[in-house]
Amino acid sequence: MFRYYCRLALMSMQRTPAITALMVAAIAVGIAVCTITLTVYHLMSANPIQDRNDVLYAVTLDSWDPERPWDESRPTLAPSELTYRDATAILAAGRADRTAIMRKAGFTLESSPAIKPFLVEARLTTGDFFPMFAVPFEYGGGWDRNADRDAPPVVVLSKKTNDTAFGGQNSVGKIIKLDSREYRVIGVLKNWEPTPKFYDLNNGHYDSIEDVYVPFALGARLQLQPSGNVNCWKPEGINGFAQFLNSECIWNQVWVELSAPQKLAQFQDYLNGYVMHEKSLGRFPRPLNNHLYTAKQWLDVNEVVAKDNRVLMGLAFMFLAVCVLNVIGLLLAKFLGLAKVTALRRALGASRRQLFEQHLVEVGMIGLTGGVLGLALAALGLLGLRRLYENYDRLTHLDLAVALLALAISVAAGAIAGIYPAWRVCRVPPSTYLRT
Amino acid sequence: MLEMQNVVKIYRTDLIETHALRDFNLRVAEGEFVAVTGPSGSGKTTFLNVAGLLEGFESGTYRLDGKNIGELDDDARSRTRNQKIGFIFQSFNLIPDLDVFDNIDVPLRYRGFSAIDRRRRIIRVLEMVGLASRAKHVPAQLSGGQQQRVAIARALAGEPRFLLADEPTGNLDSLMARQIMDLLEEINARGTTVVMVTHDPELAHRAHRNVHVMDGQVTDFLTLELSRGAGPLPAGLPAAAGRAAHGRPDPIIA
Amino acid sequence: MEIRPILSAMMRNRSGMVLVGLQIAITLAVAVNAAFIIQQRMEKIGRPSGVDAANLFYVASYGYSPGYDSKAALVNDMAVIRRMPGVVAASSINSLPMSGGGSSNTYQPSADPKAAKIPGNYFEISEDGLKSLGVKLVAGRNFKSDEMTYNGLDNFFPKQLMMSSTMARAVFGDDRAVGKLVYDGTGAVAEVIGVTEDMLGSWVDAKHPKNIVFHPVLQNGPRMTYVVRAEPGKRDEVMMAVEKTLRRPGAGRFIVWVRSQDHYTELSYRADHRMVVFLWTLIVLMVSVTALGVVGLATFLVNARRKQIGTRRAIGARRVDILRYFMIENGLLTIIGVAAGAALSFVFSYWLSNAFELPPLKLSFVLWGIMVLLVLGQIAVFIPARRAAAIPPAVATRTV
Repeated sequence: MFRYYCRLALMSMQRTPAITALMVAAIAVGIAVCTITLTVYHLMSANPIQDRNDVLYAVTLDSWDPERPWDESRPTLAPSELTYRDATAILAAGRADRTAIMRKAGFTLESSPAIKPFLVEARLTTGDFFPMFAVPFEYGGGWDRNADRDAPPVVVLSKKTNDTAFGGQNSVGKIIKLDSREYRVIGVLKNWEPTPKFYDLNNGHYDSIEDVYVPFALGARLQLQPSGNVNCWKPEGINGFAQFLNSECIWNQVWVELSAPQKLAQFQDYLNGYVMHEKSLGRFPRPLNNHLYTAKQWLDVNEVVAKDNRVLMGLAFMFLAVCVLNVIGLLLAKFLGLAKVTALRRALGASRRQLFEQHLVEVGMIGLTGGVLGLALAALGLLGLRRLYENYDRLTHLDLAVALLALAISVAAGAIAGIYPAWRVCRVPPSTYLRT
Repeated sequence: MLEMQNVVKIYRTDLIETHALRDFNLRVAEGEFVAVTGPSGSGKTTFLNVAGLLEGFESGTYRLDGKNIGELDDDARSRTRNQKIGFIFQSFNLIPDLDVFDNIDVPLRYRGFSAIDRRRRIIRVLEMVGLASRAKHVPAQLSGGQQQRVAIARALAGEPRFLLADEPTGNLDSLMARQIMDLLEEINARGTTVVMVTHDPELAHRAHRNVHVMDGQVTDFLTLELSRGAGPLPAGLPAAAGRAAHGRPDPIIA
Repeated sequence: MEIRPILSAMMRNRSGMVLVGLQIAITLAVAVNAAFIIQQRMEKIGRPSGVDAANLFYVASYGYSPGYDSKAALVNDMAVIRRMPGVVAASSINSLPMSGGGSSNTYQPSADPKAAKIPGNYFEISEDGLKSLGVKLVAGRNFKSDEMTYNGLDNFFPKQLMMSSTMARAVFGDDRAVGKLVYDGTGAVAEVIGVTEDMLGSWVDAKHPKNIVFHPVLQNGPRMTYVVRAEPGKRDEVMMAVEKTLRRPGAGRFIVWVRSQDHYTELSYRADHRMVVFLWTLIVLMVSVTALGVVGLATFLVNARRKQIGTRRAIGARRVDILRYFMIENGLLTIIGVAAGAALSFVFSYWLSNAFELPPLKLSFVLWGIMVLLVLGQIAVFIPARRAAAIPPAVATRTV
């Protein structure tokens, strides 16, 4: 019976080519617009560390100004970064399974005389960073806890940096100079593009990863100035790097790995205890406000999906609604126009339900055709977007999940559009249309 | 008041040329009740369209109420139809989405009457056809006979010079048909000219005279007395000619 | 004008009309709000920058050799650049306007710790800084060369500073700012020596983008940025010349980039541009689909009413009467649709302004939207209405 309905549907669609084309086009355009906005939204709101989401936590402490909250519009939010003092304290306490404290810096990199020196962005971090964030290595690996303590001049290169400096070869063991100091390469990453850059959202949610990674403790030893966001509230009169390290300025990011729920509670207790202790020393003038966020929560808190994209998503679905209304109208016109044929079928013995099913199959096919066409249009649209806006590059790939969702929506849209017209035409007694 | 002389109407398609009316001659005096009869394909529908100014014609003259119709443009024809002719159709042709009042209102609006004037006329014709209580009903709520009466009311509301009826009882049962014919006779008795196209000999019989159309031409005239069964027919004329609504008239029977 | 009977007929056979009416309503609500957002963004993008943006460019230099003498390099570079033809002025600077990156501090009108702390986006410039940016003084005086200091992590609050008019008003209200003292809360104090015209700062999306402060501080350290202002129309050639001149091998530093102000401005407003393009596309698509819906409905009605149209003609309607019937019917439908749409617009706007902190809709947009849709609706129905008017009266007597 289903195959029969399909055949009937095809014949019916061919009988009214103009109306069918209009309906397919309406659904296609609606689906295309929704797919494009869905794709961007989906990729924007993706959690690149989804697999490890339940064990990784971003740490925030509210060490901020007692007079003003960190974010006036969200007064209960703590700052997204920590002071050097607090970050190193958490690392030293070692209460988590793994701890990554980190911050940004900048260097000039020289590899060989043949290659001009070039500026690189650096991340100073502890060795746990690599296993915590499942960072993929092409060659070599990161450093261990001993290296965190001793801070040897070792470096991990990103794929892009390695390509530029060493032509993509295995450079483990080679020496490069960062700001004229020698560092030994111990690891080279594979292509890693976490989108968004969840572990540090302070400067651009969709920035590329850093070019080089070095042990955190080198920062203090070499007095490396931080790049990235530095925020200070306290009028402390900072003179010299040592005072800067000890100040209330926040410029460090802290992530921990807690592999079991009870460890989460324990770590929370530790944090609270630490802050209470610091309070007794005169720090942390604001009320206790420590938070541990999973990556997903961290993305939400930092409002990674731009408001604009949410608005566009809503508008896209309203557009789809208009397209569906359009198709309902066209279907009504078509089915009522062909009511005589339907009445004839009824006279020949088809039940109302069978006719209803037959019509639904037709609208489902129209929906599916519109959906497929819409996906093609969406792919074109995304290509165009990528041309127009380079830094949208990573947000404009047609994802399989989104494509399947779009097809499902198109069939559903067709079905929804068709229910009322199909019901209308099957309801009227056949004699009405068979009379001359 | 209606005079057609040598009217020719040709339908042309890519392949065929059909002479629907050839050398058509007809005269209808004011106050007459004329039945135009003939088999299907004889041209009586074409006559209706031409007489009702629904279509033009190729040659000949048509004078209606003194005016020469052939010279009128489309807008003038519409106005003439509006003012001078009242149509009654076989399938009533009421507008299904309007109630009875608004249906009758349609030609009056095109006429440009004021709201008060229109209202007065509508109530008057509704009373005339006996449907004043149904003013707010839609056609779907009325029987066939009632719908045709509304159509007649619509035709009368503008006080036309003549009523042009196309098989007015074709879609009605015999009881309703008789009621409609009674109504038409009554309207005619009050002075409105009625031209009725039909192929029912019983209906044709109720008219003053019959005009028989065949192959696009008027074939013979036979005037009956105003009341039925007035006496023997004049000698020399075909018997039962008034009943010869189908096929060829009977050969002259002495 | 047969409005009442047309309305009655519409009410009795509603479904097609309801569908198109809904489309019109949703389209109006979306289009009007989208147009409003577009206007907001265009206004934002069109804000005067306050600097001579068309003629500005920036140079980033990185001194990598050990013992790089950045102070001497600065003096040298400035001399070289200022000598070049087509250069109006040049200065070192800490960050770039409308670039997304910069520095800010809080400034208080008095030493009282409870005093209001006004956030200010500060730019470290030399005495040629204002001229280089193209920002004019409106009160007081510019920096003097003996007031310059070098930047560093040390206590950086200067002894003198200038502020933009907006900043001056934020800190001192209507009082004259020149000559007043401003505090940073650690006990450091600076004198306001000048007030400038307004300028857009580092962040175009900031809540107070025109709270600008100028510090008399020269850049110091391996990384240096210069702002250079070229003579009108000569920016590109001066950019190339400066880059070529500064890129000398053996200088112990390399030129990281030379970029125009426009480059940064365009990047900063890119998200807003994107939104404008998306919204325009959406408006056009939606209006088109709805217009097609109107055409489709009208065509359907003309076909379905064939007999009725013939009858109307038979009983006296002229062609123009039939045309008018459809135009009026469409007009009524559009009016009902836009009435619902107008209400929906405000509901939608209310939700948008709550959920996304967008300002509330202006009535003029709704009125314009209504007019546009009314006109478009009439245009859309015209061709089907004309075809209806061409239906011959003889259709009334046909029995098919």
